[in-house]
Amino acid sequence: MSDVVTSSPAAASSPAAPTGAVTADGRGGRTAGTVFKAVVWAALLVVLLALPLYVNEFWLRTGFVVFGAIVGAIGLNLLVGTTGQLSLAHAFFLAVGATTYTYLSGSPGGFTTKVGGLALPPVVGGLLAVLAAGIAGLLFSPLAARLRGIYLGVASLGLVFIGEHVLNTWTSVTGGFNGRSAPGFSFFGFSFSDADKPYLAVLGVPFGQSERLWYLGLALAAVSYVFARNLIRSRPGRAMQTLRDSEVAAAVMGVNVQAYKARAFFVSSMYAGLSGVMFALSVGSIAPESFSLAVSVQFLAMIVLGGLGSVGGAALGAVMVAALPLVFQQYADSLPFVAGVGEGGIVAGEAARFLYGAAVILILLFQPSGLAGLPQRFRRPRRPAGEVTAFTPGEPAQGAAPAQKTEDRPTQSS
Amino acid sequence: MSGATAVGAPAPGDAGAQPELRPIEVEDISVRFGAVRALADVSFSVAPGTIHAVIGPNGAGKSTMFNVLSGIYKASSGQVRYGDAMLTSMEPHRIANLGIARAFQNIALSGTQTVTENLLLGRHHLTKAGFLSSGLRLPRATREARRHTERVREIATFLDLGDKLDTPVGVLSYGDQKRVEVARALCIEPQVLLLDEPVAGMNADETQRMAEIVLEIRDALGITIVLVEHDMGMVMGIADRVTVLDFGRRIADGTPVEVQADPEVIRAYLGAGDDSGDDAAADSEPPFPSDEERTS
Amino acid sequence: MTQFLSLLLNGISLGVIYSLIALGFVVIFKSSEVVSFMHGSLLLVGAYSIVRLQDPLGFWGGALAGIAITGILGLLVDRLLLARMRGAPVISLAILTIGVDIVLITELTRLIGPDILNINHPWGGQVLHLGSVGITANRALAIVVAAVLIAAFFAAFKYSNWGVAMRAAAEDGEAAALMGIRLGRVSALAWVVGGVLAAVAGLFLVGSPTPGVTPAVAAVALRAFPAAILGGLDSTGGALVGGLLIGVAESLATGYQDQLAFLGRGFGSVVPYVVMIAVLLVRPSGLFGTRELTRV
Repeated sequence: MSDVVTSSPAAASSPAAPTGAVTADGRGGRTAGTVFKAVVWAALLVVLLALPLYVNEFWLRTGFVVFGAIVGAIGLNLLVGTTGQLSLAHAFFLAVGATTYTYLSGSPGGFTTKVGGLALPPVVGGLLAVLAAGIAGLLFSPLAARLRGIYLGVASLGLVFIGEHVLNTWTSVTGGFNGRSAPGFSFFGFSFSDADKPYLAVLGVPFGQSERLWYLGLALAAVSYVFARNLIRSRPGRAMQTLRDSEVAAAVMGVNVQAYKARAFFVSSMYAGLSGVMFALSVGSIAPESFSLAVSVQFLAMIVLGGLGSVGGAALGAVMVAALPLVFQQYADSLPFVAGVGEGGIVAGEAARFLYGAAVILILLFQPSGLAGLPQRFRRPRRPAGEVTAFTPGEPAQGAAPAQKTEDRPTQSS
Repeated sequence: MSGATAVGAPAPGDAGAQPELRPIEVEDISVRFGAVRALADVSFSVAPGTIHAVIGPNGAGKSTMFNVLSGIYKASSGQVRYGDAMLTSMEPHRIANLGIARAFQNIALSGTQTVTENLLLGRHHLTKAGFLSSGLRLPRATREARRHTERVREIATFLDLGDKLDTPVGVLSYGDQKRVEVARALCIEPQVLLLDEPVAGMNADETQRMAEIVLEIRDALGITIVLVEHDMGMVMGIADRVTVLDFGRRIADGTPVEVQADPEVIRAYLGAGDDSGDDAAADSEPPFPSDEERTS
Repeated sequence: MTQFLSLLLNGISLGVIYSLIALGFVVIFKSSEVVSFMHGSLLLVGAYSIVRLQDPLGFWGGALAGIAITGILGLLVDRLLLARMRGAPVISLAILTIGVDIVLITELTRLIGPDILNINHPWGGQVLHLGSVGITANRALAIVVAAVLIAAFFAAFKYSNWGVAMRAAAEDGEAAALMGIRLGRVSALAWVVGGVLAAVAGLFLVGSPTPGVTPAVAAVALRAFPAAILGGLDSTGGALVGGLLIGVAESLATGYQDQLAFLGRGFGSVVPYVVMIAVLLVRPSGLFGTRELTRV
């Protein structure tokens, strides 16, 4: 596979790996397109690295929320987009991650409700939280592996409600209905919160909590991105995609279907767990309502907007869905269609939901490969791009399929 | 054929590179779907290194038989042995690991993936790279991928797909996709190749070419090939032995010449009392058209 | 004992409401393979329309208009959105309904605001007593109306042209299409039926003992999903049984919550999901769902 990338230094340049047809070539070398992409990626990285020097705290905080969403969306996309397993349980796995982190690294105490805590170093708490979410995914996977496609979607719904109930009930760990505050992050003595930090300034810009969290988020999102990209283009990724397109074909080609579904769940929920930890850090607290079904639906919207199966698409979708309500909120005054709180009319959160709800519908109707498929649509008109990139889980890819199919079923569109 | 020698030499370092051929024994297989008996006490044996065809009119149970062989359907009774391995009690992926590969009739490729990616799936059981080493692009995962891509290239070239390696399968022609199916099965480095109607829907030229390919595979690799096919001309031309099914029963088993002369086979194919309406070809045409007579 | 009987009766009355919702859900799935994740908001549209229209039109006029509006909304979703996506993967269709749900629920939440809107049922909040067992008139009526609707539904499903066409379409869409059945009409009608049943269920769901119309009603309606799933997504009888099972289980768990205190307050509302997961562990296709045969 993508031998092109092996010649370049590991992590940073991997996002520059060429897509699709170029990749598989393996020895195509650095074509003009590859170089162009590398330049774009490098520029993006520089901008993202330099941003804290120029923008205000609102954007940095929004940025960290978005990075967390990116991690979660990439994880859900591995499960739904790549492996074809519809899951509405993502919010549940986020909750497992966030709660585990908060409990393990939090301190016991609380005013109205007593909560426990192990006060472990945040790095340890964070890692264990990710692992715990993964294990929760593994525990669910035997059920998931037995259910065929759409049954899984509805069954996973149950997990969210059960999870919410546990969050409300298990007060000593979760803080119950009102939730509890989440410990700040620190990394070998370097703190990411405003609480106890050595003063730090770069180029005269003080580096407080939001600047530091920005870089933490950027690093975690980048690593998550690169890992998922690599995964999809490798042996496990091919097996997962075949599982999506035809379970029978995958099995007959030697893929252990049950085991692979379980692993897909494991990886996906670890991503969710990390996203949950980042969420706890961005808000500074956790509460049951933060992990409701609406959150699962939001993540689903992200990956559909971006384009199911595309890692970059998931990231793009996450940026849109996660940032919109915050941005609308911030700039409610200057946006004609958004009202401030209490003014009547459409408030920021609602405007954002209308927008991405409608976007999901429009994307599915007119651009099934999502935002990620847009460039292809314009770049190579000679190839029926929609056909190739369109996501078709659960149906064997068929030869002359798209055209043939409509012919076969003449009455269906009537 | 140019590719024949290329495909004959498995890539270095492959597990179980040299096929040790074993016979397949199908013994009294029955499959029921509710009240329907799709197969009733079917037995036959496939000698190592031969091309064995399973034929019959539509609804005769050929595809069901294949689904039993590759572990997708569980037989209600009876057993299939491959050497000392009991296929009837194994999951599909374990059967694949034994080196029994299948090409599907209704193409079951991933349309969004390229030919190379689809073929690399055939290397799944020969490779090890896991989630962690792949996600981190550890050198051993990259090396492994490169090595197997080489082999995939050889096999693709052998099946006239050398210039389409980077094309998403979804945009290939039907005939090309059929050959990708066969190529993917070959990528397993199989000892047994199960071909499910490899020429269904192909035109005469493509059919001719596929027949050549099947023979070349057998000659170059010396593996066993089991073939389900509708196209009589092709079957009679290349098979060493033929098993005929009708309404889930075995009605004949022998060499092509023997089978062609069997009165029960002729009756089945001429459709006396056969009401499988959608099988127009079998109903209206003489049972064993020669190559020239076939059009599509 | 009295408490048990009372909880059982109330559970059944809640169960028939769930059954109505689940039935619509199943009919839609059978006719077009769409899993309607927007069923909760569809129900809420019905309940909200009735509330808003009862002032100008009176209760009965408002109820009829609200039910009609919901049916038409279902029709529009099918004709304007889903009809353009026939043949798309089941997952994409399901996600499309989630998209519609996002828009609908956002708008309804905005319209309803923080208030609780009340439907002025003519039967009000009276309680009927059967011996020592009590049930609200609203729920008692729900049982009667649901029984009539369900009986009518099953009769229609069995004997009407639509029912026959629908069952044929569910069996084999392509064959049904070839026989001249217009799949588009079948699914359109299924959506109308689904919408109407959801609105009727909504009419009773927001009546005594439930407070009134709030956005949370959509979440209550979601509990009909477990009902449909555990009965078997493609089984109309299963929807009925599943609804009753879920309703009774929820009612009992809520009623005995003091004894179940170790499971936490409000456990009753998650019982449907616990029951669903337990059933699916044993029977992955639900109690009465057909196991899908893999076709290769």
